[in-house]
Amino acid sequence: MKEASLPIVQESSGPAGKNPVGPEMDPRRASWPVLAFFLVPALAIYFGLTAYPAFKTFIDSFFLIEGRETSFVGFAHYRELMHDGTFWVAVRNTMIWSFIAPILDVATGLLLALALYAGVPFARFFRVAWFTPVLLSYVVVGILWMWIYNYDWGVLNVALRAVGLEHLASSWLGDPNLALGSVMITHAWKWAGFNMVVCLAAIHSLPSEVLEASELDNCGWGAKLFHIIIPMLRPTLLNLYILAFIGKMKVFDLVWIMTAGGPLWATETVSTYVYKRAFNWNTFDLGYPSAIAAVWFGVVCAAVLILNRAFGTKERLEY
Amino acid sequence: MKKARLGFACAALAFALALSGQAAAQSTQITMWSNWPDEPAKRDWVSARVSEFEAANKQCTVKLNFIPKADLYTQAKSAVRTGQAPDIFYMEPDQPEFLAGGYLDPLDGIVDLANLEPWAKAAWTSRGKVFGLPVEAYTVEMYYNKDLVKQVGVTVPASNQMSQAEFTELVKKGVASGITPVAQGVGDRPFPGAFLLYESLLRKLGPEDYGKLLEGKISYSDKRIVDVMTWVKSLVDIGAYPKSISTLKLGESHFYFYQKPGALVFPIPSWFSGRAFAPPANGGMPADFPLGIMHFPKMDEGKCPDCKTLAVAGSYVLFSGSKNKPCAGALLKSMATVENGTKWMEQVSLQTGIRSDPAKIKSQRADYFAELTKRNQEAKTVFFGTPLFHYRGKCADAFSQVMNSAFPTGLVSVKEAADKMDAACFKG
Repeated sequence: MKEASLPIVQESSGPAGKNPVGPEMDPRRASWPVLAFFLVPALAIYFGLTAYPAFKTFIDSFFLIEGRETSFVGFAHYRELMHDGTFWVAVRNTMIWSFIAPILDVATGLLLALALYAGVPFARFFRVAWFTPVLLSYVVVGILWMWIYNYDWGVLNVALRAVGLEHLASSWLGDPNLALGSVMITHAWKWAGFNMVVCLAAIHSLPSEVLEASELDNCGWGAKLFHIIIPMLRPTLLNLYILAFIGKMKVFDLVWIMTAGGPLWATETVSTYVYKRAFNWNTFDLGYPSAIAAVWFGVVCAAVLILNRAFGTKERLEY
Repeated sequence: MKKARLGFACAALAFALALSGQAAAQSTQITMWSNWPDEPAKRDWVSARVSEFEAANKQCTVKLNFIPKADLYTQAKSAVRTGQAPDIFYMEPDQPEFLAGGYLDPLDGIVDLANLEPWAKAAWTSRGKVFGLPVEAYTVEMYYNKDLVKQVGVTVPASNQMSQAEFTELVKKGVASGITPVAQGVGDRPFPGAFLLYESLLRKLGPEDYGKLLEGKISYSDKRIVDVMTWVKSLVDIGAYPKSISTLKLGESHFYFYQKPGALVFPIPSWFSGRAFAPPANGGMPADFPLGIMHFPKMDEGKCPDCKTLAVAGSYVLFSGSKNKPCAGALLKSMATVENGTKWMEQVSLQTGIRSDPAKIKSQRADYFAELTKRNQEAKTVFFGTPLFHYRGKCADAFSQVMNSAFPTGLVSVKEAADKMDAACFKG
């Protein structure tokens, strides 16, 4: 179908592939006023609410802003940042979260999708139930899981005590060794449904001939999963991983609600630290938090580029 | 005749409408943000003052909002930068950045400063001017459950102050009886977990050296400080605090103490009454709760066993960018009267920075108030301000993470805690 449409496009082009009458004469091209009518509002919103704030943040990072007084400090904030222990703890936590948690997210989503694809009983109910957390706000999810993790009456500890594993009952959000993992699991729980839906759609779009052929060859479930389904889902899974990665590099809401970065900075992320420096630090200075934000913006962009390069493949699946 | 009557009625109606429109046009609406959405007694006091003001000043109306403190601060920080802040908003003296940033107007000449307590005025004085109306003041107290303490076999001394050894014994007996010795939760506040330690440090060091510690002039490795921290750590290790302390919220810790599961003591400022005296159905203290107030333990070789922390908390400030200063100032002036100070004491059962007339206080909680007053009279020396009143930025963050949270939950040793605090606060 796609190939059939190509000659139509080529008809309007000249022998060298160029339009002989110029783009302005192209009947499909709108006039400048019409273009402006549609583009200006979007561009104004983009520049006003995205580009300008980002640019201003970058500029602010070179200033000390105390109340109504502003003074230029050059790279002083960046130099200070290099020696800021809390910042590096936040970087470490965010990196752990960003690289490890997406594996959990995508794996859980894939497992749930496979369960639905395999036709578990009450599949319709489970599809809705597993997707529901995606619809909940972080505030609701945070409070819900704080109850689940409550030391005294949280369902997790109550269950552990009920089955005789009292020694495993812990202060899940109060122990620095457990807090980050506990919040990561909560985050994975919230987003598993989204990954499940995407994976399920991708599984359903796999060519049935390949799967049927594998069945004819007596290929088992495990072999089919690891040698056919997962390789063919690779682009989808990688895109989900990168999307989750970007989301986690900016994670704020859930951490702020559940632990506010504690205990002992064990769950401090770069975003929570920026917020603390901007609003909880007995100062109006936005220069230093702007420097953190500027650095982190660069890190996120670089990380995404590296991941795209690392995961990118020129091999195309033929089927 | 009928037409004439109708015409007259129409004219009268038009005149009345015109008058009311003129009145509406002349009235000025001011905006006020207050804390205490979940503390009925304080909320009622503020609402009553605003209603009285509106009744006496028809040209001014007040749009009053009650917002939780953390949200209020965040919103105020953004709002003052853009000039959109309310005319009057809630503030505590531990937020000096608003004053330093030039966002507050002095109240000199607006409020009758003679109606403010001198120590409360001092908390808001900068460059010789007073910038806040100190409505709420408090002392740091050790509340206890008389029945439970008796039940575990401990008698509170007549002086209402235990020694270190006696308090350790109380904690041990509480743990042995399956009763949490000290109710405390640090889940949503950066300070409660440090009350026992810092009140003990005040009594050990005396106000002068304690002040130096909070100014970063004395190291946490000082032997006296290490001794006190070691003692508190021993209590932590015995099991003084609830296992859920790290996630227990302030409101929940109140409930923990006087409802379920119950605890022997509850170290908390005297603004305890704000939540405790709410109706029991709303999470308040049962009417027959056997509440007592004792002093924090005296330290072995302590320099100031009868010291006590006094602080100013909830205050109202005037936004320097306000376009309605006459009305806003008039409201603050109307609040700062001896009569209103007395009403605060009566209704809230809590200290205030506004002068009051003790002879006229008719509190429904007279017994409680008498005991609180007696404990305060027994304190010979008062130190002004809790640690977060003195600590700023990185040091305040370290205090919150280490002394408020990690230390009372047993996550760090004495040395680790001291090192972390010195790294953030000690100026040498």
